Amino acid sequence: MPPAAPLPPPDFDIVSAHPEVGWLRQAAASGDWPSIRQYVASLPPGTDRTFVVKAVGEVAGVEHPLRQLVHAAPDDVLALTLLGTRLVEMGSEIRTAKGAEHVSREQFAAFHEHLRQAEPLLIRATALDPTFDPAWAERLSTAKGLQLGQNEARRRYDRLVAAHPGHFTGQARLLQQLCPKWGGNWDDAHAFAQECLRTAQPGSLNAGLLAELHLERWLDAGRGDKGAAYLRQPHVLAELVHAADCSVAHPAFRRTHGWVTVQGCFAALFALAGDQQRAAWHFRALGNLATSYPWGYLGNPAQSYTKYRDAALARG
Amino acid sequence: MSPSFHSTEVDGIPALFAHRPGPMRAGLVFRVGVADETLASTGITHLTEHLALHRQGLADYHFNGVTKATFTHFLVEGDQREVVAYLNGVCSSLVDLPMDRLEVEKEILRTEAASRNPGQLPLWRYGAQGHGLISYPEWGLGPLRPDDVRAWADQWFTRDNAVLWIAGEQFPAGLDLKLPAGAWRPLPPVTSALPTTPAYFSDGKGGVLADFQVTESIAAEAYAAVLERELFRALRQEGGWSYTAATDYVARGDGYAMLTAFADALPKKQDAVLGGFVDVLAKLQVGRIEQADLDAARSRLDAALTAPDAAAKRLPGAAENYLTGRPVVELDQVRAELWSLTPAHLHAVATEAAGTALLQVPSGHGAKWAGFVPAPTQSTGAVAGRSFPSVAKDGTALVVGPEGVSFTAPDLYVTVRYRDCAAKLSWPDGGRRLIGTDGLTVEIEPAQYGLDAQTMAGVDAAVHPSATVWLPPRQNRPQVRTSATPAAATNAVVSGSGKGKRPTTERTRAQTVVLVVFLLLSIPWSGLALLVTAFGASDPQTSTSDWIVVTVFFWVVAALLAWPAIRVLRRTRRR
Repeated sequence: MPPAAPLPPPDFDIVSAHPEVGWLRQAAASGDWPSIRQYVASLPPGTDRTFVVKAVGEVAGVEHPLRQLVHAAPDDVLALTLLGTRLVEMGSEIRTAKGAEHVSREQFAAFHEHLRQAEPLLIRATALDPTFDPAWAERLSTAKGLQLGQNEARRRYDRLVAAHPGHFTGQARLLQQLCPKWGGNWDDAHAFAQECLRTAQPGSLNAGLLAELHLERWLDAGRGDKGAAYLRQPHVLAELVHAADCSVAHPAFRRTHGWVTVQGCFAALFALAGDQQRAAWHFRALGNLATSYPWGYLGNPAQSYTKYRDAALARG
Repeated sequence: MSPSFHSTEVDGIPALFAHRPGPMRAGLVFRVGVADETLASTGITHLTEHLALHRQGLADYHFNGVTKATFTHFLVEGDQREVVAYLNGVCSSLVDLPMDRLEVEKEILRTEAASRNPGQLPLWRYGAQGHGLISYPEWGLGPLRPDDVRAWADQWFTRDNAVLWIAGEQFPAGLDLKLPAGAWRPLPPVTSALPTTPAYFSDGKGGVLADFQVTESIAAEAYAAVLERELFRALRQEGGWSYTAATDYVARGDGYAMLTAFADALPKKQDAVLGGFVDVLAKLQVGRIEQADLDAARSRLDAALTAPDAAAKRLPGAAENYLTGRPVVELDQVRAELWSLTPAHLHAVATEAAGTALLQVPSGHGAKWAGFVPAPTQSTGAVAGRSFPSVAKDGTALVVGPEGVSFTAPDLYVTVRYRDCAAKLSWPDGGRRLIGTDGLTVEIEPAQYGLDAQTMAGVDAAVHPSATVWLPPRQNRPQVRTSATPAAATNAVVSGSGKGKRPTTERTRAQTVVLVVFLLLSIPWSGLALLVTAFGASDPQTSTSDWIVVTVFFWVVAALLAWPAIRVLRRTRRR
């Protein structure tokens, strides 16, 4: 049999998975706020709308027109949230995603200063419209970055899900907060991930948060052999299989925002656990799509993706 | 419409009368209070009030005296004969105070102080002067001599600085209120220790507290009630983060009122209570005032305004208004304003309140993230003078100069200038504490900083004797640290000088625990008991809200008292 043609490299561009993100970025860059507003209004009720503010918030320089927008209309909930999100993004870019020990004091100061500028805008947004989910989701990020406390994060999450039960981004952000690195503990984090699974709609992404939890625990266990040993425990593997069955492997699964990350987590975890067959299934489902989380946890994101995918597809 | 009360005059004292069936109630109100004192003379008004009541002895009718920030009330309830006897007795005592009781009454006041903690908000808002003095202990009591008290009474407790009010079936005969002539006294200036608002400070353990300066109005009063409902709903009913959430509204007498809000919190849940508190304020500030909340607040206020003795209950507040030269508003007019309120009126109050807020968050928490500016805990610079580094070599020093004294640490200055020194506390062991009118304090421990006798004498001489407070010997003098560690240096910064330092009495840990438990249990109930046994809803603590229903008032009293009780731990120097 002739050797198969080499597989294409992973594609980390979110636009490939979700073309509307590209459109949103263009609209934001050209200041077409009416179209963005209309787009948000057109989303079906119950949609996790965080991807919209995230897409706009990643556009460099967009803070300038947004400031003008907020200045002209201080009660514009969408504009307040977009500007708040942009400031959080700018702060996060300064902080970088590195571990705290690799972040300088000045970087932290600038990060916190950006979050402190964002927070009053987001407070105002949630005060004006407590059902506007992206604003609460951003306030989970500011609560974490400003270290406002576990209960405060929980309170914000409760306010968010009061109007949006099973809000995936909200659950993912609270799960991070509940991990020990942000002041929580594994028992609470695990219990919460299980609660997300238990309360999830069949085929939704929420059950996939168990994969995220186990990825965090794998990292905490020390990666390598220790990490693999953690993942190979029967109860962990069983939980991962069940979580996949409830989410990305469920017949009702639809590729909503966040799916590349969730499916990527399953692919990475089964690969790390040595379950090449299952890993291969998830890699095939991904095509060549990827996101920096989880692949950044495994080393160079693109190289890791290629390495584990090729290994899985060769045997699975 | 007939006026709800009538004005007359008795022995040169303006008098207000309202008809009220049943026992007669009356009060003699003077325009003097703690805010008229200085830090080094705090307690002199309260002592005068106590001495004036001593001869009432064990009368079996209800009487009381209340010393507030800017008013002193003598109150009585009984039959006509008893009321007349009480009022005549108070006046004759005021011109001839029983000075043989001076030291005993000082002791009683010290005992009373142990069960009273007005909290830290006034100190941080106004500084160590004027309205801020109610945060401080009655340090001035110690050296007061009969002549001092007599001079104080002559100056303030005069017929030209008083108003009488009476609620009963008829105006009583036989009043003989012989008070000396004097001068009408304007309100003390409202000082500020806050360069910027909204501001916050971190202190205490029990919950979140805030006060707001708002224009005195029925809208502000309704806003206080709506804020309470929102806090209760968000923090107790929905989140389960708090047990108590309450607000209070007190007219300050100068056209403004202080609105206070409180929510308690378990230590583990303080972060969520703070977050929820901020969100409740934000909701009202953006104008999301629920019509149902306004309706409920309105019904509650209107019930008090239409109660059979509403006019009588308004008399203490009306007397305060009279004493400050403000118009006494008729009930019908208040009701008309109340019923014309819309959510927009309350939104305007919320906006005003947002700009003047002072938030007290539990220790270890901050509110910069929510847009509040830290209230000053240090000075902008040090005085010029000779520097005395700490013998512990911890990086701190005292700078003593002709202008004042500064405590310095890396990136930190706390300065008290002699001309702004509200009080100098002095202990026989040589320890001194300078307290500036801005509320900042500098601790001077001569041994800690190697201050020679000549330098100390210079400090003592620079502070006016009237600002010097001699305190009894300290059981535990601060230890001289001889080794420097980063922790020690940090401690020095935190505990050595700063804001809100109150005099401490050394206690054992067991005593402290007993004290705290006792206060936690007793204060809310003593608050309730006081209300029930004294004057019920006619208590003049709140000049324009005397008619707030008793249950609500109880909650406010319980909340405001129970929370600061925990602070006693902080007032007590640990061994």
